[in-house]
Order: sequence, then structure tokens, then C-alpha cells
Amino acid sequence: MYFACDLCIPSSYKSGEYPVFLFSMSMEDYDYLFKIVLIGNAGVGKTCLVRRFTQGLFPPGQGATIGVDFMIKTVEIKGQKVKLQIWDTAGQERFRSITQSYYRSANALILTYDITCEDSFRCLPEWLREIEQYANNQVVTILVGNKIDLAEKREVLRQRAEDFAESQSMLYLETSAKESDNVERLFLDLACELIQEAKQNKLDNNDTAPMPGEGKTISYLSCCNLN
Amino acid sequence: MADNGPVAAKRCDAGSLSSVSMETILALTELEDLERVYQQLCAEEKEVDSELERLVGQEGTIHTKMLALQRMGPNLQLIEGDASQLSGMITFTCSLAENVSRKVRQLDLAKTRLYNVIQRADDILDLKFCTDGVQTALRNEDYEQAAAHIHRYLSLDQSVIELSRQGEESSAVDASLLMLQDAEQKLKVIVAEKLDEAVAAVDLAQVERFFKIFPLLGLHQQGLDRFGQYLCSQLSSKAEENLLLASGGDLGEKRAPLVFADTLTLLLEGIARVVETHQPIVETYYGPGHLYTLITHLQQECDRQAQKIVDKFIQQRGYHNKFQVAQSNMMKSVPGEGIEPRELDPVLTEVTLMNARAELYLRFLRRRMLADFEVGDAQSVTQEHQQNTEKLLKHCLLSRTMQELIGYYIPMEEYYMRESVNKAVAMDTYEKGQLTSSMVDDCFYIVKKCISRALSSSSIDCLCAMINHANSVLESDFREVLYNKLRQGFPATTLQDIQRGVSSAVSLMQSSLQQGKFNTMGIESAEHAKAAFLVTLNNVEVCSENITTLKRNLENDCSKLFNQGAGSGEQAKIESCLSDLVDTSAKFKDLLQEGLTELNTTAIKPQVKPWISSFLSISHNIEEEEFNDYEANDPWVQQLIVNLEQLMAEFKTAQSPVIYDILTSLMTSLISIEMEKTVLKCSFSRLGGLQFDKELRSLVAYLTTVTTWTIRDKFARLTQMATILNLERVTEILDYWGPNSGPLTWRLTPAEVRQVLALRVDFRSEDIKRLRL
Repeated sequence: MYFACDLCIPSSYKSGEYPVFLFSMSMEDYDYLFKIVLIGNAGVGKTCLVRRFTQGLFPPGQGATIGVDFMIKTVEIKGQKVKLQIWDTAGQERFRSITQSYYRSANALILTYDITCEDSFRCLPEWLREIEQYANNQVVTILVGNKIDLAEKREVLRQRAEDFAESQSMLYLETSAKESDNVERLFLDLACELIQEAKQNKLDNNDTAPMPGEGKTISYLSCCNLN
Repeated sequence: MADNGPVAAKRCDAGSLSSVSMETILALTELEDLERVYQQLCAEEKEVDSELERLVGQEGTIHTKMLALQRMGPNLQLIEGDASQLSGMITFTCSLAENVSRKVRQLDLAKTRLYNVIQRADDILDLKFCTDGVQTALRNEDYEQAAAHIHRYLSLDQSVIELSRQGEESSAVDASLLMLQDAEQKLKVIVAEKLDEAVAAVDLAQVERFFKIFPLLGLHQQGLDRFGQYLCSQLSSKAEENLLLASGGDLGEKRAPLVFADTLTLLLEGIARVVETHQPIVETYYGPGHLYTLITHLQQECDRQAQKIVDKFIQQRGYHNKFQVAQSNMMKSVPGEGIEPRELDPVLTEVTLMNARAELYLRFLRRRMLADFEVGDAQSVTQEHQQNTEKLLKHCLLSRTMQELIGYYIPMEEYYMRESVNKAVAMDTYEKGQLTSSMVDDCFYIVKKCISRALSSSSIDCLCAMINHANSVLESDFREVLYNKLRQGFPATTLQDIQRGVSSAVSLMQSSLQQGKFNTMGIESAEHAKAAFLVTLNNVEVCSENITTLKRNLENDCSKLFNQGAGSGEQAKIESCLSDLVDTSAKFKDLLQEGLTELNTTAIKPQVKPWISSFLSISHNIEEEEFNDYEANDPWVQQLIVNLEQLMAEFKTAQSPVIYDILTSLMTSLISIEMEKTVLKCSFSRLGGLQFDKELRSLVAYLTTVTTWTIRDKFARLTQMATILNLERVTEILDYWGPNSGPLTWRLTPAEVRQVLALRVDFRSEDIKRLRL
């Protein structure tokens, strides 16, 4: 069910450690810029996933996020520099109206729940309604079950989540921000998928005149579809 | 054998030096071998001789060295004597030093012990003094004095006291200790009681008096607790009074719409004043780092009171109600049914003011607490303190309440913005002489107002959310409106009729009359649609510019906010949200381009094309007579210029300079392409070529006056064609071609040159074919 891109090479952590100011960003060279927004109930580990990916940290006793946080990390995929703008949102209800304003411009949404918390899974349909209402219809949504390090406390079976994700035609991945399981893969796979989409859009727009050098895409696509 | 004897013997002495051993020589029997060995031995002998000579030669230098060494002999003896003397002296000094230092160490030890003894004696004396002092002080109700004695006792080294009790006077010490402990307990009770009494009597002087005594008794926490309670009760009564005034009072005043924000301000300012006035006492008597504890107490009361104010605000302003109406209205997207946006204005302003006050207050507390920690220990304002402070401020009820208010505010402000923009669109008017219609200015006024209000809340997240919404309104809703207007297109046919002048207008009237009605409506509505299209184009262009200006202005406003000390992460957030506006501006530019292309294809192209193709009906295969006739009565180009001028005059008045420029540029491109096509369909005589050259020059001269772009480049090919058509004979082209071209860069290919040459009726095709280009 997953798409994998084992050839993705993460660039060093240094590049993403501090948020970069945007006016200087236009000066930098990157091939793609994507906005990724993490959503999901409070306490499912959204902030930990982002910190693990951008800074390589797992801060214990992470307090509740207030409003939204903003991180940047640049990764390299098949020789292309991809800048990921990651918006980490507060899960608490009172920040919902702030969070919602970010859906529309997001390229991808990471809908997160906690595998040890049935409640956070049951809320997913509600989140999907929000996505339906606020996000643009081209958004890529991926469902993430976090905290697989707490396997003995699991409340949501993997099969159940996979079935649910499939019924909503979402991608599904289980992660552990604590053990760093699948975290890199989550963001890199997402970046792969977004590049694919972007290329697809570009092709749709000028299908009469394919750009020279696009031929490489095919080998790239096949790499992404390996398993 | 005999010959070799002495040699062999000599070699034997030389021993190992020889490469040939005696035995080998003795074993030799052949003459050849013997000779070879002999040769070898001779060579070796020579070598040995030279070596010997070299060694003998060295003898002289060795001798001089020996002499020098012998001369040094006595000196060495002297040095040896000195050295042993020095060694003796060092040993002596060393032992002396060790002797001395041992004594010093002993002295030092003795001194330390002596000090300890004195200290302990002092302590014991103090203990006695304290015991007596406490009694008298208590008797005299001099609690400060008593507390000072207890403080002295508490700061004594406990081990010293233990030791003292083991001494000879143990019983006496024990007794005074007991007495002291007794007095301590008594004093604690008394001070607590007295403070409670003073609190009950609201006697600030007495409260402060006893508050100062607590730290002397080691009761920092208790003192701060009680003092905090006192301050809280003071704040509470004041706040309730204010709230009563606010909710029940005369609302006719000027500040009535902001009365809850004002009440909250009074509360927060009151607390800030309390912190400011009492910080010195706490710092002096409790030491640095204790302000945090006091503020923790005060914050609890602040939370309680703020909650009351907000509850009252929500109730009296119908805040939740308004939110729900706005929310459901946005979901249904049925305009007109919901609440009037204007009605939300005051409540939105009040909420942002409340949040701004709360942010200001929390910033003040943060600064004070961190400064207080810093006084304590500059290095240890570390993680823990910072975290505690942040936790207190970020997760206090006041923060949460404000976050909730802002959570409701954002959808309401969004509603306000969307509805107002819809209204501006619905009430769109256009006044003659204006380039844009009213909705552009109105819309940007509204967007700016909403974002500015969000900014005035001092909440970065709130601001970012509103920037996002504004972007969405502009990019989707408003752009959609303009897009739909442009999609109605530019009414081509009627305009053409009008442009064709009186004759066509007459024919139109005639046809209308024939149909039995005079259809001016058709002309009028078309005229209207035409103006609407042109105004919309201007609107789109101004929108794109306005968005860029909006972004720049917001950047300036935000930089002011950051000077007040928002984090770099916050700044990055805003910048990211603002950068989306750039994309939106670009989308408006794309839309403008689309509109211009539409205008070009529907309005300019169909008109310009026939004007150009009328060139075909003017013969350029002419003789002297006709040429002169053309000279007198221009057959084509003057009319074209007049037509073009008429066409563009309308756009010039109706369009912004930027759009007009793009249009003229599009038109000149069109003209050059059409001209080229037309010319290739004509035939020319020598004089016809000259005529065309004249015509082209007038046209280019005219177009140069109406455009700011350079158009020479666009007409380069045509100019070159004119040059070719003007040649005397075919071979003359070679004067301009290839190595003779000079500064001229040919835009025509050799095949095209031949094609143009063939247009001349007087050029023979064989000559053209024969040309080598």
C-alpha cells in the first residue's frame, strides 16, 4: 500500500535546524517548495514528529503547541533540492480557527492519530470533514499512526487503520517519533509524491510541448513505484 | 705457489679486509685464477694504502684537539668544585625552608582552630544573647528585634550547637536552646496571627511590617502566600467594583463599546502596579527569585477576575451568538440572511483590544520575573526558571481565555471581510474618467482594515490566520469576480461598426429602421459591456499592484511589532504567510495577460487586419505619373494612421498607462506581422518599391510616437524588405549582403531575400536564381 523511495537521500540536519527567513529564501536555490501541514487531535505527537524530522530530537515532556509552529528543512531527492515548509498545528479545539486558515495553501496534510488512543482514531472522520471543507482539492493527505514504540498499549489495530485509509484513498504509515521509526520515510515519501504531482500538473498544462530532459522522470517514477 | 706466498701472508694480516681468504688462495692451482686473484689483491692493496694515507693525514687535527682538551682539564676541576659547593648550599636551603614552612603550617592550623574557637565562643555567646534578647523583645512586642534574634540563631552552624551541647556547659546551652526554640514557635504563631489581623483590618503598613518578618524566621513561602492572599483580596474587591460599574453602568458614554476591554485593562494595570510597588520589598526582604512565587499567587486572582470580565463580555455582547450566526452563514454561503458585517465592527475591535492588553501584561510579567531571576544569579536564569515562567504565562487561564476569544474572533473577522467584499462587489460603481471602479478600492480598504485589526491584537497567530484568509478572499473570491467579468469578453462587432465611422452607423440605423425599431439599446449595452471590460482590465492590474503594496506595508507594520521583541520563529511565520500574497499578485498578473490577449484577438486584430490588407488594393506596380499622384493624394498609409489613432485613442483614455503600453506593443507586433504577410502578396515596380519605403517610414514614425517601447526591432524585417524592393538591379543586393552588410544584421534568410526580390516585376527570375547568397 505504501509508496517507497529508498533512494531518497536526506541532506544533513544542519540545513533545517533553524527556520530560515523567507525573504532570503528566494535567493536560495531549490527545485521545489512544498507546504506540509500536520493536523490531528491534541497529544498524538505532531510536534515530536516535526522535531524528530527537522532537528533529530525527541524532547520529552513536550508541552501543548500554541497556535502554529513553523519549521523548514531542505532534503535532496534524486539530485533535486526540495524545501519542505512544515506547519505544526495545535490540536486543541480553541486553536482550530487558526489552524484551518492554513489548509487552503497546503500541498500536503499529515493527519496524525495515536495508535494507543482509540479516541484520536475515532476523531478522524471529523478531521476529514475539515479537510473537505477547507483544503484545496489537490491536497495530498497521508494518515499517520504515531507512537508504535508503545506497542503493548496499542488500541487501534494496524489492519483497521489500513482499511480506513484505503476507504478514504489516503496513504497510511505507522511511525514512532521516539524511536525515529519511519519518520524520515514519512516526509521523504511525501516529498516524492509531491514532486510527482507537481510534474504531473506541469505535464497537464503543456502536454503539447514536453520539456526537454523530462525523460528522466520515467526512471524516477519507476523508482518510486518499486514497492 | 712460492710467488704468492708473501702476498698471501700479508693478506692474512689484513684479515677481514680482504675479499679473498688465504684458504682460497692456497687452493688455487690454475695460473689464470692465480693471476685474477693477484690482480684483485693488488687493487685491494692500493685501496688500503690510500685509506692509510687519509688516516695519517688526520693525525694533525686530532693532535690539536687533544691539546685543547688537555688545556681544559684544570678548568673542569674548578667547575666540579663549584658545583659540589652549590649543591651543598641548595640542600641546606631546602632543609631550612622545610623547617620554616612546617612551622608556618603549624601556625596556620593553630590560627584556624583559634578562629573556630572564637567563632564558636561567639556563637555560644550569641545563643545566650539571642535567648535573652528574644525574651525581652517578645515582652516588649518588638517583633522585628525578636525575629532578628531568631534569624541569628537559625543562621548559626547547627553542628556547632550540637558540639556545644556536648561540652561542660551542656545543660545551660540546652536550656537556652529550648528557650529559643520555644520562642521561635511562639514568634511564628504571633507573627502569623498579627499578619492575619492586619490583613483582616486592611492595614497595609502592618501587613508589610509582618510580611517583612517572615523571611527572618525562614518562612519565605508562608509569608509570600499570606501576602499574596492579601493582595489578591485587594485586587478582587477592586475588580468586582469595576465589573459592576461596567456591566450595569451608563453605557451612553463614548467608551461604552470598549467598556469590557477597559475593565480588563484596569484589572491588568492594577496587577502590574501591585507588582511594580511590591517588587522592591520582596527583593529586599526575601531576596531575588521570589517574585515568581508572588506572581503565581497574583496570577490566580487575575485569572479568576479576567474570566469574570470575559464571561460578562460574552454574555452582554452576545459574542457566541454572533459567532454562530457568522459561522453558519459562511457554511451555507447564502448572503444577506446573516448578521450585518457592520454590526460586528465594535465587538471585533473590542476583542482585539482585550487580547492586545493581555499580551502587553504577560510581556510585562515575563520581563519582571526573568529580571528578578537574573539578579539572583545571572548564570542560572537557565532552562528551569525560563520554563517555569513560560509555563506560568502560556498556560495560565488568562492566556487560555484569550486564545478562546481569538479562536472565535478569526471566523467572525473572516466573515466580516468576505461579506464586506461581497457587498463592495455588489455595489460596484464606475464613474466616467476613473480608470478603475469602486470595488477595487473598497475591497482593499476592507482587507487592509481586517488585517490591521488582527495585527492590533498583538497575536501573531491571529495575524497570520487573517493574512491567510485575506489571501484566500483575494485569490479565490475576488479574482473569480474579475475573471467572470473578463470572460464575458469584449463586444467586438458593435465596436467595429462604430469605428468604421458614419457610413456603417448609418447602415446600422437603416437596418434597424427596416426591422421596424430603432435599436439603440444594442449599441448602448455593447458600449457598456465594452467599458466594463476595459475597467475590469484596469481593476485587475491595480489589484496586482495593490497586493504588492499591501504586502510591503504589512512588512513595515510587522517590523514594528518585532522591535517589541517577538521571536524569530514568529517572524518567519509572518513572512511565510506574506509571501503567499506575492503568488496571488502574480495570479492577477496572469489574469491581466489573459484579458489583454482576449482584447487583442477580439477588438484589435479584426479591425487592424482589414486596414492592413487594404494595402493589396493599392497597386504598387506604378509609373512616374501614378507615383506623383500618390504623392499628392496619399492612397493608404495616412488613412491607416488615422484609423489606428482612433482605435488607440479610446484605449489611451480608458486604460492605465501600463495596460496601454502593453496594448500598443501587442498592436505593433500585430501590424508588423500582418504587413509582412500582405507585402509578400503584392507586386512592385521600382517606383512602387520607393512608394512602399515611404509608406513604411511614415508608419514606423507614427508608431514610434505612440509607444514607449522601441519598435524599430519589430519592424526590422519589413525595413529590410523595403530596402530590397528599392534596389536598382538584382545584383545590387550584394552591396548589402554578406561581407558588405556592415552594421546591418539581416533578419531575412537568403530564400526570403529571393522571395522579396521576385516581387519586383522588373527583376528577371534568372538573375535572381543566379544570385549567390
